[in-house]
Amino acid sequence: MRDSPLLKIVWAHLTGRKRQTIVSVLGVMFGITVFIFQAGMITGLQDYFIEKTINSTPHIEISSESDASKTPVAAKAYKGSSDIWFSIRNQKDREEFDKIKDGLQIADLLESHPDVYGVSPSLTSQAIFKLGVIDVSAVVYGVDIRMENRLFNLEQDIVQGSVTRLETVNNGLILGSGLAERLDASLNDNLNIVSPNGVTLAMKVVGIISTGLRDLDDQRAYASLRNAQKLMKVQSSHITDISIKLKDIDKAPELANEFERRFGYQAEDWREKNASVFSVFKIQNIVTYLVIISIMIVSGFGIFNILTMMIYEKMTDIAILKAIGYTDKDIRVIFLSEALLIGFAGGVLGLVLGFGISIIAASIPFEIEGFVTSERLNVNFDPLFYTIAFFFGLLTTAVAGLLPARRAARVDPLHIIRSQ
Amino acid sequence: MLEARHLDKYFREPVKFHVLKDINIKVEKGEFVSIVGSSGSGKSTLLYTLSSLDTDYDGEVLIDHTDLRSLSNDQLARLRNSSIGFIFQSHYLLPDFTAIDNVMLPGLKLGRLSKQELLTAALEKLDLLDIRDEADKAVNKLSGGQQQRVAIARALINDPKIVFCDEPTGNLDSKNARMVFDLLKELAHGLSQTILMVTHDESYKTDRQIRLHDGQVVS
Repeated sequence: MRDSPLLKIVWAHLTGRKRQTIVSVLGVMFGITVFIFQAGMITGLQDYFIEKTINSTPHIEISSESDASKTPVAAKAYKGSSDIWFSIRNQKDREEFDKIKDGLQIADLLESHPDVYGVSPSLTSQAIFKLGVIDVSAVVYGVDIRMENRLFNLEQDIVQGSVTRLETVNNGLILGSGLAERLDASLNDNLNIVSPNGVTLAMKVVGIISTGLRDLDDQRAYASLRNAQKLMKVQSSHITDISIKLKDIDKAPELANEFERRFGYQAEDWREKNASVFSVFKIQNIVTYLVIISIMIVSGFGIFNILTMMIYEKMTDIAILKAIGYTDKDIRVIFLSEALLIGFAGGVLGLVLGFGISIIAASIPFEIEGFVTSERLNVNFDPLFYTIAFFFGLLTTAVAGLLPARRAARVDPLHIIRSQ
Repeated sequence: MLEARHLDKYFREPVKFHVLKDINIKVEKGEFVSIVGSSGSGKSTLLYTLSSLDTDYDGEVLIDHTDLRSLSNDQLARLRNSSIGFIFQSHYLLPDFTAIDNVMLPGLKLGRLSKQELLTAALEKLDLLDIRDEADKAVNKLSGGQQQRVAIARALINDPKIVFCDEPTGNLDSKNARMVFDLLKELAHGLSQTILMVTHDESYKTDRQIRLHDGQVVS
């Protein structure tokens, strides 16, 4: 009951200056719309990438990649002694293809680890792919296709051919879609693969796969583990990588450390492997929030201006309200409510408009080629954004209204009444 | 009802100036008192110090034995709301509201009556002032005399202990001015409303006249 006259005054003020009110509501609306749309788009893309990464790449990858800077044995032997100086000339590494020792046994051990969903051992090597006159350098990925398929659901990403043909066709090969494009290869083409140590193998394209992750699609070709080993001239126990999928992805960093300690090979979790991408995401996010914050500050200034003008215009109203018994607090409430009402209206409209634009944007076909390839914008419709955007809008308007409201509350009625 | 003891007031800007000099006055309940004097005599200043809007003075002002200076800003606002009515030279009605809404404003703040009861009370006041027909009109659609009568109704809505008037007829033509003064007199005598009025027109005969000259009570 006591609030109703205040609300009535608020309403009279807002409707009395319709144009200004509408402009400031639009200002807030615009800010919120941009917030919703931009945050939805940026994080939508990021989430899409993360989802793809989690689905199509190992959560933890154990690899044989040895430290490039091998310390010479002599250096190890004399480590810590300052009396002895030595120098090693013409140091030569043994020519040796990278390998995880007892890799298959390690894979078996990991398979039975309670936190592990599954493992897939593989032999990876750079190779030259030759088709007609085209030479392309890419990665041959020798796998047990059943194990690989269980982890990464390759079947779902196959666009031509099939996964099982890798087992049935002798010397079969599944090409990444980007790689196939570069080679101008199509299904059932025969091509030659030349390994770094000179072995050439004639292989047949039995499938083309498109995961949506650019790195994978452009660089990778799947072969059977046996064929890869033939290509590298190594024994059938020789593997270079173990892909691991976990039951709980959040445990990846912790388990990666554990495996690295236990087996003595480098174990990287998926975040570490994609660190460069995540740092780009971080910068994206910072830029996004800066843009949003500056828009909100601008609309905040708009509200500040309009309320300040309103106070000058309504000075006598304020004075008379005080003379007939309205307290400073009442006056403050009036002007703060005006700001908050503008914020509320702008917020609601902004949410609706942002949602609408997001839906439209998500439905328009749009080729994306970046970290990921996708046929449309992946917009995030997380309700959390909508909540944050709305309260952010209210907060901005409240802050913008605070100063004018305080100024209004400090108006001295005597000063106004006597000067007229 | 209202009492001033050794009231002194200074203007500090632009130079220090002694406006009110040792004022001692008393207004009893039901009295209709006017403060007269030439312009610059300090009569309006006196009215505002007596009515709680101006608390920058030396000495004491008591309304119903309460020292105004012992009250906080909020308490003063509450006192004005419940016990004091104001009528100014300008009507000072809120232009966005209708006549009846303007009258109800102080009552809504006080919250003593329900909205329905308040509406009835406000209509009664408008009836008393003979402008009930204009209740639902926007105030800027009313004539000057009607506006001032709405302002009087607003001053009366909470049944104040005292009504302060600052040149209530100053903006009106002589016919309307006469009518407003007659209304005030009727309130004072018919309803025993305590009224303190500042005017430069000494032809208005009230129960008692306080004459001010150069900030001093001369009679």
